[in-house]
Amino acid sequence: MRSGGHLGALAGRFRGDEEDGDRPPIALVLLAGAIAAAVLSPIAWLVLRVAGIETSYALSLLTGAATTSVLANSLALVGAVTAASIAIGVPLAVLTARTDLPFRRFFTVAVALPLVVPSYIGAFAFVSAFGPRGVLAGLLAPIGVESIPTIYGFGGTVLVLTLFTYPYVYLTTRASLLAADASLPEAARTLGESSTGAFRRVTLPQIAPGIAAGALLVALYTLSDFGTPAIMQFDTFTRIIFVEYNAFGRDFAALLSLQLLAVTGVILALESRLGADRSGAYASRGARSGGETALGVWKLPALAFCLAVLALCLLVPVGILAMWLLRSGSPGYAGGGFAFQWTFAWNSVGVSVAAALLSAAVAIPIAYLAARYRSALSTVFDRATYLGYAMPGIVLGLSLIYFGTTYAPALYQTLPLLVFAYVVRFLPQAIGTTRSSVLQVDPTLAGAARTLGESPSRAFRRVTLPLIAPGVLAGAALVFLTTMKELPATLLLHPTGFDTLVTYIWLVQGAGYYGAAAVPALVLIVVSGLSMFVILSQENTDS
Amino acid sequence: MTRDDASEHSDRPTGRTRRAVLAAGTVGLAGLAGCSALSGGDGGGNGTTTGTETGTMTGTETTGNATNGTAQQGNAATGEALPIEEYRGSGPLVQQRPSLSGTSIQDLPPLSGELTIYLGGGEGGLYTNLISLLERTYPDFEPRTRLAPTSQLANTIIQETSAGSSPADVFWSVDAGSLGVVAERNATVALPQRVVESVPQQFHPREDWVGVAGRARSVPYNTDQLDRSRIPEDVLAFTNANVLQGNMGWAPSYGAFQAFVTAMRLLTSRGRTKRWLNGMQEQGIRTFPDEFLVSNAVADGEITAGFANHYYALRVQAARPNAPIDLAFTEGGPGALINVSGAEIIEGTQRRQLATNFIHHLLTIEAQEFFATRAFGYPMIPGVPPVGGLPTIDELQPPQLDLARLSNLQPTLRLMREVGVL
Repeated sequence: MRSGGHLGALAGRFRGDEEDGDRPPIALVLLAGAIAAAVLSPIAWLVLRVAGIETSYALSLLTGAATTSVLANSLALVGAVTAASIAIGVPLAVLTARTDLPFRRFFTVAVALPLVVPSYIGAFAFVSAFGPRGVLAGLLAPIGVESIPTIYGFGGTVLVLTLFTYPYVYLTTRASLLAADASLPEAARTLGESSTGAFRRVTLPQIAPGIAAGALLVALYTLSDFGTPAIMQFDTFTRIIFVEYNAFGRDFAALLSLQLLAVTGVILALESRLGADRSGAYASRGARSGGETALGVWKLPALAFCLAVLALCLLVPVGILAMWLLRSGSPGYAGGGFAFQWTFAWNSVGVSVAAALLSAAVAIPIAYLAARYRSALSTVFDRATYLGYAMPGIVLGLSLIYFGTTYAPALYQTLPLLVFAYVVRFLPQAIGTTRSSVLQVDPTLAGAARTLGESPSRAFRRVTLPLIAPGVLAGAALVFLTTMKELPATLLLHPTGFDTLVTYIWLVQGAGYYGAAAVPALVLIVVSGLSMFVILSQENTDS
Repeated sequence: MTRDDASEHSDRPTGRTRRAVLAAGTVGLAGLAGCSALSGGDGGGNGTTTGTETGTMTGTETTGNATNGTAQQGNAATGEALPIEEYRGSGPLVQQRPSLSGTSIQDLPPLSGELTIYLGGGEGGLYTNLISLLERTYPDFEPRTRLAPTSQLANTIIQETSAGSSPADVFWSVDAGSLGVVAERNATVALPQRVVESVPQQFHPREDWVGVAGRARSVPYNTDQLDRSRIPEDVLAFTNANVLQGNMGWAPSYGAFQAFVTAMRLLTSRGRTKRWLNGMQEQGIRTFPDEFLVSNAVADGEITAGFANHYYALRVQAARPNAPIDLAFTEGGPGALINVSGAEIIEGTQRRQLATNFIHHLLTIEAQEFFATRAFGYPMIPGVPPVGGLPTIDELQPPQLDLARLSNLQPTLRLMREVGVL
């Protein structure tokens, strides 16, 4: 216990006995192991491919100057985006969950929405708005400002990725805050702590696993995202992998992908080490969710902060899309005539819901095992699922084409295989939030239920599951939103004739018909936003 | 096609290729030679007139009458043939279409049954539109189109055929390199001579695939900032053009550009190409994600000139008629490369005859007019000219290069990485 003293003892009272020494139910271990193995299977294909490459050639590729500079670029990007996302996401979570921020319900939903903006649209909108000759430059030119700082390169990439990925940190942190006992910081304050002191010494340790889970998602998303670095002209792993696959350089692409997975492994190990000290995370989640902190004089600055984030993340892309839409009267910016159909939206929602439900369901065993029965094995199962998350969509797609055509022709180019791909890619989002909420549930509660005669599975269903529901729900929401906008695996694995919003956007935007891309992009944002609203309001009534 | 000619086709001869002349019109715009331009106004007097001058009416009107006349004679069992206007685009670039000649859809047996088409690229749904027109013509035709980036579909087909068989019957790709890669893996079957005979040998160098529309390398430039005479005629000379210092743009991660660098490598040498890439970098050339954005940046004045496929500038111009953008073409060598969108039949298909007939349809007057006037591509059959102002393929003098060799991208990428372009 880091905090020590009576506050620590107070938090410790709720910790109960850790079950580290207990043996987990064998069925749970087998289930979690099977899920992890299924999720890892696409990587086997990658390893097989790389094994076929001549060693000296492989080494020369890996140690080339370009490869090492790309490695440095990727790592710098991951570090900067993760730090910046925490700096934005955590304050927003606290403001919307624990303070008397005006229009709180609105902001609760709105600040999560940037996650629904696909990076290839967000980044492009930023270039249109803030690039040379962009909208901003056009507005500033008449008043004598001739040049603005460049949006391209490292700075711009960090900015755009942060603005569209911080909601990971926001949502996981928020889920932790909702699950945590809000009366503890109050107790701390009655014991003489200042409100910042109470936050630092009581709340922060409570929500640390949530922040860590979100930060890990941001870090790995940054590593696997292709669209933003490509548009912002910054070289990363994924950009080179993508270029190689398009050039039929499948060996090098496979090799780089494996190297990317190795980097992911290092990040995971690092995170495990940093996040290992989870003491203070356990806390009972009473029904006492009150504890609103009055913002006082900070009300206006807090409001301004929320509005500024929203303006950048939502107004800029939506405004630029609207601009394209208005321009679309002219043929070059309008569609080639392949008309938008509403079935694209239903298709998107359908597969995304399926992926979200399946991910949430299979996340529970893994997350529960990892949180309750900490052992080398449970940690391996948990962390292994993150490898699929860092696998670029194109690599995953090709891998599943191989598996589908070779071993499961009946499933090839069907929805089940597509949904499986989504689960492989996005399962860690559900696991992260679920695990942090399991960590916050006092294990003695389930123990108490059992002493009252409940079976372990009934105790889990009746006591633990309702308590972790906000985390599971937040995880499902994350999977839903990212599936809605997933492009590369969708393009490779969708059933023939099954078009979604993103495949349509890809089609028209790739040919420069930005006006035609505006409608489906707006639909994507609105539909995802509505789903987000439903999910988050559900969560509020629960707590 | 005169009405009398059209009436002869009422029985829709099958398998027999007939030469038909659709419409009678005047070529209003002279084709412009050499370093030609879109606007056409100042192209000089060396224009060549194509087509037959048999009337003074606009091509569109006359064509409409002729084709409608034909359609009325169509075989009811296979649906009505659509008038050529359905295939033709509109706008300032498409006015004054000349007479067209070649095989008409009327001359081919009807398409019927299910056909799985892997459509690589697809030009923003334009190609899907053409497929829809064929669907409207033939109620029994059930195309199943699978759209994805072209190289990804090539990778997919290779993976599928090596594991057993591919669901694809036809691979229609916007890049000859992708067609070549699939053909190299023996994943295709040969196309019959009668289908490809109207296409110049350059665009069907092997039996495996045939080009259906061409895309030329070009230099879009901003007419407010640059006079065309200052653009070098040889693409290799761009590294020494002081006027372009710090003002140019390219899209090195874009497939069409990589094909161009591959052509340079194959036509000159690795060393010469490396010098060129280095030279352009020393010129301070700016990087864009794709060539539409290069062309758009030219129109915006963000850059003065760029390297891009020709049709992107035409699309910008069609959308923004007042934008100060025009096209220059370099002469001969890799700068005059014409890559193609083309099609091939995938090994293992159960519908070879239908697949062959479908590809034949892509080479009809109607489909070629579609590519010319809607996608602003280069038609592949001599009887259909490109849209107004574009130089003809002969005038461009494209290099003699087997386009399938453009799939030899690996050394290109290594070179581009070595000089830090990628």
